[in-house]
Amino acid sequence: MSSPSTALGVGGTTRRQPRSRRASRLADLFARWGFMTPAAVLLVATLAYPIGYTVWISFAELNLGTFAPDEWVGWDNYLTAIEDERFWDSLAVTGTYLVFAMPLQMVLGFAIAFLINAQWKGRGVVRALFLIPMVIAPVIAGGIWRMLLDPLWGVANYLLGGIGLGPIDWLGDPFWAMFTVILIDTWRWTPFVVLIASAALLSLPRDVFEAAAIDGANWWNMLWRITLPLLVPVIAAVFVVRWLGAVKMFDIALAATHGGPGRATSVVNLFIYEEAFRSLKFAESAAMSIIVLVLTMALTAVFLRGSRYLEERH
Amino acid sequence: MTGATLAPRRPSRRPANHRRRAAILRQARIWSGVLVCVLFLLPIAWMVLTSLKLQRDIFTTPPTLFFTPTLETYYNYLWHNDLPARMLNTVIVACGAGLISIVAGAMAGYALARVKLRGAATIGILILLSRGVPPIALAVPMFLVARNMGLLDKHITLILAYCTFLIPYVMWLMRGFFKALPDELEEAAKIDGCSRFGAFFRIILPISLPGLLSTLIFSIILAWEELLFALVLTNRAASTVPVVISGIAGDTVNGANWGALTAVGTMTMIPVVIFALLVQKWLIQGLADGATKG
Amino acid sequence: MTDTPRSALPRRAVLAGGLAMVPAAAISQRAEAQSVAGLGTAEKPIAIRMLANSAFSAQWQSLMVPEFNKKFPHIKVTIDGVPYNEHLAKIMLDLTGATPTYDLYAIDDPWVPQVAETGQLLDLKKDANAWTAADYDWDDFNAAPLAASEWKGVQYGVPLRCNMLLMFYNRTHFAKAGLPAPTPKLTWDEFRAQMPKLVQDVKGTGSVNAWAISTYFTRDSLTPTIWQGILSAYGGELIDLQGKPGFNNEIGVKALQTHIDLLAFAPPGARAHGFTESLQAFRQGQVATMFQWGSVFKGTAVDTASTTLKTDEVGIQVMPVGTTRPGTHRGIWNGSVSRKSANQQAAWALLHWLTSKEGERFHANVVGAFPARKSTLSAKPDSDWLVPVYATLQHAYEVAQAGRMWRPRSAKSDRAQSILADATARAFNGDVTVAEALAGAARQIERLRL
Repeated sequence: MSSPSTALGVGGTTRRQPRSRRASRLADLFARWGFMTPAAVLLVATLAYPIGYTVWISFAELNLGTFAPDEWVGWDNYLTAIEDERFWDSLAVTGTYLVFAMPLQMVLGFAIAFLINAQWKGRGVVRALFLIPMVIAPVIAGGIWRMLLDPLWGVANYLLGGIGLGPIDWLGDPFWAMFTVILIDTWRWTPFVVLIASAALLSLPRDVFEAAAIDGANWWNMLWRITLPLLVPVIAAVFVVRWLGAVKMFDIALAATHGGPGRATSVVNLFIYEEAFRSLKFAESAAMSIIVLVLTMALTAVFLRGSRYLEERH
Repeated sequence: MTGATLAPRRPSRRPANHRRRAAILRQARIWSGVLVCVLFLLPIAWMVLTSLKLQRDIFTTPPTLFFTPTLETYYNYLWHNDLPARMLNTVIVACGAGLISIVAGAMAGYALARVKLRGAATIGILILLSRGVPPIALAVPMFLVARNMGLLDKHITLILAYCTFLIPYVMWLMRGFFKALPDELEEAAKIDGCSRFGAFFRIILPISLPGLLSTLIFSIILAWEELLFALVLTNRAASTVPVVISGIAGDTVNGANWGALTAVGTMTMIPVVIFALLVQKWLIQGLADGATKG
Repeated sequence: MTDTPRSALPRRAVLAGGLAMVPAAAISQRAEAQSVAGLGTAEKPIAIRMLANSAFSAQWQSLMVPEFNKKFPHIKVTIDGVPYNEHLAKIMLDLTGATPTYDLYAIDDPWVPQVAETGQLLDLKKDANAWTAADYDWDDFNAAPLAASEWKGVQYGVPLRCNMLLMFYNRTHFAKAGLPAPTPKLTWDEFRAQMPKLVQDVKGTGSVNAWAISTYFTRDSLTPTIWQGILSAYGGELIDLQGKPGFNNEIGVKALQTHIDLLAFAPPGARAHGFTESLQAFRQGQVATMFQWGSVFKGTAVDTASTTLKTDEVGIQVMPVGTTRPGTHRGIWNGSVSRKSANQQAAWALLHWLTSKEGERFHANVVGAFPARKSTLSAKPDSDWLVPVYATLQHAYEVAQAGRMWRPRSAKSDRAQSILADATARAFNGDVTVAEALAGAARQIERLRL
């Protein structure tokens, strides 16, 4: 709940206000806008042309000799994208990946944050060490996991064989390949959720919990009635940030499975990347990017509305 | 549940075995956290191990734990292949982008969370909208703009490019943190005679230090490992470590050198871990300050 | 100077002759000054920049450039590396600017038509003719590598690093299986009969620890080149001379099916094998044969830090014979000069030197790049292990030229290649039958109108 405007304007008269009041109202307006201005100016300055250009060439043909849009082709690029079954396949793959990866990372992240938030000497070290998977380049992360999961050279099947379970074709079987991509992505990004969640847990006001403890509330009640409602804004923020990042995932898929086997792990951004950088179809990939943008924003709007509802309830 | 040791001790009315159970649960909590941490770090341990192997010892069946370690790879890549210069570039760009983003983003997040502004919500949504565009689409026009302005292969270009995706994230994360703060803080500051900016910098920020620092760490990490913009916007002078890594991994002549890749990976994670460890101190400090206030 | 006694010539003639010689001398001096300036002077050195693949840019900078500077001390060369996946995009982005950063580009085989179509590359036989030495000898180049940077009759580049898809084999494995070592006359039928025997126990542990083959099987743009090598061996053509798909027939189906059938004799997890994994399997002595790019030979047979194999264990040759000829595939890195470069002569001086007869010998012996000239390949290399490699390369070039064994030659080559890669991946996964995959790919490629 945003703080109410303060003394200014409260109990103000409806008659003409003295100069100084109006001046100080104006000054306050500037002050309030001053918070938003740096970010807005910076982003408009750096993103206006790129986004405009992307929208523009999605409706045109790109002249590779000058990288400028050539002739207007209207919705042609969009139609090409919509008619391409590879595009739809990649959207389906991305959807599957998101449905499993997002809840997993959120729940796991908050659970781990709770575990490592216990007050002890090594807390800072554990928190710092937990960041490491995030820092490892996707290529290296994908490669290390490939090495660990490889049927011929990897530790995973070696250990599985030790306890009597059959070898799993982690990368060659479509189901396991998707599992592997979700596994690596979760490994890399749960630390992000942990990082933000543990900061949020640290910021929780203690007095509420003490009061509840005195009243004899047990652990489960405290979780549902107090902790989670207080955390809703942060949960929503983390979810949106993670969601926007997950939609863009392609480097893990590229490094671990190249999008295979078949099209099993070809997420949409991998497809767009290949169209743009391998086939140099910049106009078509711009059109696909806009389609993905629209879909992403529609879903983000749903999430934001849902989180606003949750925020208001508590 | 949340660090009860900082609270003033009340005379406990609970019997002794409750306290013992609480202590055991606390130990279990700590050790499960450590266990999860170790599990998460197992692949990292494998990576460090691999970086000490000769290439011919890496892809063996079964995987070898005992081998003759070599520091040759580290030597090759630490002194040759331009890695120190690239590392410096990465530090400059990541810190620059992180700092600019945290300032601009936190202020914007505050505007969204606590300040009554008509249209601010719309701007916030628009800013978030920019994150929906796949970065591949943005890389080419950014290159064209940078080239026209003569800003190719410069640090500032990368810093600005990184801010475009960091600021929206920082803004939304800090909005979440600020929203969770009690409403009365600004009023108390007003009564004390603080201006809006004064209230923000002197009261709100210190209380949100855990969130702020965590978001800063996140921003720096994101900028640290960003690849696409670095590939397109730099050639040599401002080139970063992820570009080196991509080059080693995509070696089409002799195959990816996994000894080198894991060595570079190990070398690049160390600065970030050290940074995070240092920041933890401030975090705890900020927490202690916050506790005495709240 | 003539021998005619001066007294015999009329004075006016001598004066006229002398006067006539002055402008001529001035012109030739200016030309000489120009050509010297084009190559830099001690006071005004020239700086040129090259965009190359990061796999060899550092090596070139540290090994090749100093040697070049011994002959051309006033040309400062900087070579920037870019990873393969982004290389083509960077070339195109740079070329289209008003003042490009780079004077020289290293361009991979299938990209040449697309880059050439921008019109920004120098026609080397015409525009650089004045700067080419008389003994450069274009005909000394093997036809296949030189054709890699030729497009619509114009020579846009020269072959810098030559790579061909070849068959590596492990003599120890063949000996243990009781089979004769392969020769370039090995046919696909013979090889197919040999493969089951090559899945064996070579370490004496009692269980299978060696397989017959490793190569590209994963979803990758280079995976189709394997079955293309088989297609060519059976007389098939990927794209016919009219630019239409030529693989949507029995021979194409047979080639792709053969590739898929190789999986049965490949190590576990081979489904996901690409360049690095197939290479490592061979270097660990876990497979008997490998279809792989020849540039890996040194790291596979010679460099003990990266391989467990001994030099005399490893053999190299073209891929097996189908009905018509052996198979291979061309992959040449070419060097081209940008038309917008302000230092075209200096840029060409670098490429000219590197691909001249002496330069290529240095490049092959010291830097380890594979040569394209017949003279270099027929001369004795500095290292003994290069001898079978040279023989194989010469053979492979002739085979590739005869069977047109390269990726689609068109400005839309990469698009066609990615369609093929997608179809290949789906066929491997069993999403569609081989015939359906090829039919679908043919339909899509036809729509591209190559």
